[in-house]
Amino acid sequence: MTIKKKKEIIDDGKSPENRLSLFPDEVLERVLGFVKSHKDRSAVSLVCKDWYTAERWSRTHVFIGNCYSVSPEIVARRFPNIRSVTLKGKPRFSDFNLVPPDWGADIHSWLVIFASAFPFLEELRLKRMTVTDESLDFLARSFTGFKALSLVSCDGFSTNGLASIASYCRNLTELDIQESGVDELGGSWLSCFPENFMALEALNFANLNSEVNFDALERLVARCRSLKVLKVNKSITLEQLRRLLMRAPQLVELGTGSFSQDHSLRTDGELEVAFNNCKSLHTLSGLWEVSSMYLPALYPACANLVFLNLSYAALQSTELAKLLPNCPLLRRLWVLDTVEDKGLEAVASNCHFLEELRVFPADPFDQEIIQEGVGTGVTEFGFVAVSEGCPNLQYVLYFCRQMTNAAVATVVRNCPNFTHFRLCIMNMCEPDYLTNEPMDEAFGAVVKTCTRLRRLAVSGLLTDRAFEYIGTYAKNLETLSVAFAGSSDRGMQCVLEGCPKLRKLEIRDCPFGNSALLSGLERYETMRSLWMSACKVTIDGCCLLARKMPRLNVEVIKEDENDETHAEKVYVYRSVAGPRRDAPPFVLTL
Amino acid sequence: MEEQTSSPSSSIDSSSYPVLSTSSSRSRPIFRDLSTDLKLGLSISSSPSTDTSFNSTEQVPDWPPIKPLLRSALVEKRNERHQDSLFVKVYMEGLPIGRKLDLFSLHSYDGLLKTLSRMFKATILCTDVAAQVSSSDIHFLTYEDKEGDWMMVGDVPWEMFLTTVKRLKITRADNL
Repeated sequence: MTIKKKKEIIDDGKSPENRLSLFPDEVLERVLGFVKSHKDRSAVSLVCKDWYTAERWSRTHVFIGNCYSVSPEIVARRFPNIRSVTLKGKPRFSDFNLVPPDWGADIHSWLVIFASAFPFLEELRLKRMTVTDESLDFLARSFTGFKALSLVSCDGFSTNGLASIASYCRNLTELDIQESGVDELGGSWLSCFPENFMALEALNFANLNSEVNFDALERLVARCRSLKVLKVNKSITLEQLRRLLMRAPQLVELGTGSFSQDHSLRTDGELEVAFNNCKSLHTLSGLWEVSSMYLPALYPACANLVFLNLSYAALQSTELAKLLPNCPLLRRLWVLDTVEDKGLEAVASNCHFLEELRVFPADPFDQEIIQEGVGTGVTEFGFVAVSEGCPNLQYVLYFCRQMTNAAVATVVRNCPNFTHFRLCIMNMCEPDYLTNEPMDEAFGAVVKTCTRLRRLAVSGLLTDRAFEYIGTYAKNLETLSVAFAGSSDRGMQCVLEGCPKLRKLEIRDCPFGNSALLSGLERYETMRSLWMSACKVTIDGCCLLARKMPRLNVEVIKEDENDETHAEKVYVYRSVAGPRRDAPPFVLTL
Repeated sequence: MEEQTSSPSSSIDSSSYPVLSTSSSRSRPIFRDLSTDLKLGLSISSSPSTDTSFNSTEQVPDWPPIKPLLRSALVEKRNERHQDSLFVKVYMEGLPIGRKLDLFSLHSYDGLLKTLSRMFKATILCTDVAAQVSSSDIHFLTYEDKEGDWMMVGDVPWEMFLTTVKRLKITRADNL
């Protein structure tokens, strides 16, 4: 690697002046321009002052994992040539309604600074940030060369904001609003793309409900010859999809609209022809309200599929079993648990190269009347079956209602290469249903066997034992999610003391109190953030933490006026920007 | 559903963690809000004072951890299977004649408030903003849920609201 070679040359014992003369700034900057990974760039910037300077001048993309860890002014001062910004805002648990609305992470103040510091900004990728229509309009008008906007799990804007983007961003190549909560005032935003606009390469509006003007969409797709990613919403019918596919056979990623009965489809054969043209598809998603009689039309397009997202398609096991043999190269599969264990057996027999499996619950709130003896969803049998057929599994997210320690141990014995292991036993504090013991041994097996584990989410009945295992064995762990687990402060302590690479720790409804919180003092400065909600931490404990560690922001979200001492929700993160200046009244900065 | 009277296993000290459901292979899983017990550090025994009602339809809005888009898609799917529309009666305090509104045609609280504000030509608010306002021409939106209780609109996720709402009432701010 380039960096290593340069380091060797520098350490050859020559005097500082000679060393420096080997690398005029321009050369260094030019070389560093090839270093893309932000971790590598951070490392580069720490070598010496010259490298720090060269690095900051040559950096074009900045990644900020926590928008409050730094201020836009600091970013603008350090990096003069930024073209692309990635920002993440709210804590991840905001996805599950644990963060009150109006908490913050508003992009606007960033945009104002960027408008003057980075007028040539081309890309903005936001996750869990609040973005208003005013901000979108400001963005569209302020950055003439703007190309790519990606808003993942964001909120605060309406379709009017999208209209601004479509109207003014002449060089737009990407518009992706996946999973964002959008106030839908209609579908006319899509018609705002000018008729001579042809630059689009990626468009994802799958999360919207309202109908867009289909003619406008069809014309847009027809003239954007470089379009590679198209993910439409469920208002698009099968016949409309067919027409779009005939216009854009070059698509690499497709999100279909509704896959249910469409009387305007003249014959099924036509749909199949359209899919048959799409030889380059790598990713397929959508399939809302899928009607199984149309599934075979997909088969011709699946030969090169690498990622199949069926999390909105309630397929039965037989349908999945017929679909999968057409996808021999599949590496990532997301399904609903309507496919049940039998469906997972089909995965095991067909998907030999599978690296990632996510199984979501079709009925998370148990609203169906479940008959005695008739199980729903997936069980440990499906999990084990997949592990037997897919030895390359590295990423699993598995929602189930029952699990056993033995099954999990078997799974990781079959697949020791997990980097991401997220098991969600939906019944809170559910023990091993066969032995009635806690699930400690299951996660013990995971951390002992999967030495490359970077992300872990635990569930089920867990004592401090599970956390002892994690602290002892999970040496590469970076992210840990815990809910309804543990018996005492010791649990959290084990993790904080034992996992050197921990960056994100999110905890809810656990019996961890002040001494657990305070066992992490210096650790928190090496982590991105800590979240604790519904634990036993008090305001006093948080104040103590804040006093001892002045470079951390210790925030308490307080909604319940009655309990004065309890810290309901605690968010601790390192920051060079000092305390937040935009905190709402329910966020106490200590 | 009943709790066992003794610890499930001799190797486990019942005071170190709350023991919950101990029966196996139930077809109807149980959700139980443990947060209070955990906060108080109580161990669960069979004594009646710590027993909580095992209401198997109890739902915790933020568990299991499913992202909002998928969550609403799944709930919609369920509701669609049974019916394509959800018309509920809406009354405004002081007006004897009510209106009807199809909640499935809306997708968020924002949409609901906007639509109702248009229908009734009034300013209507829900939970978050409500508490700070007490002028006479501001209204609150309340709803009757499946259990017959009148609740303030806006506390639970939208998709969950759709499953429990039976009717709506718009009341004046200074009447609450």
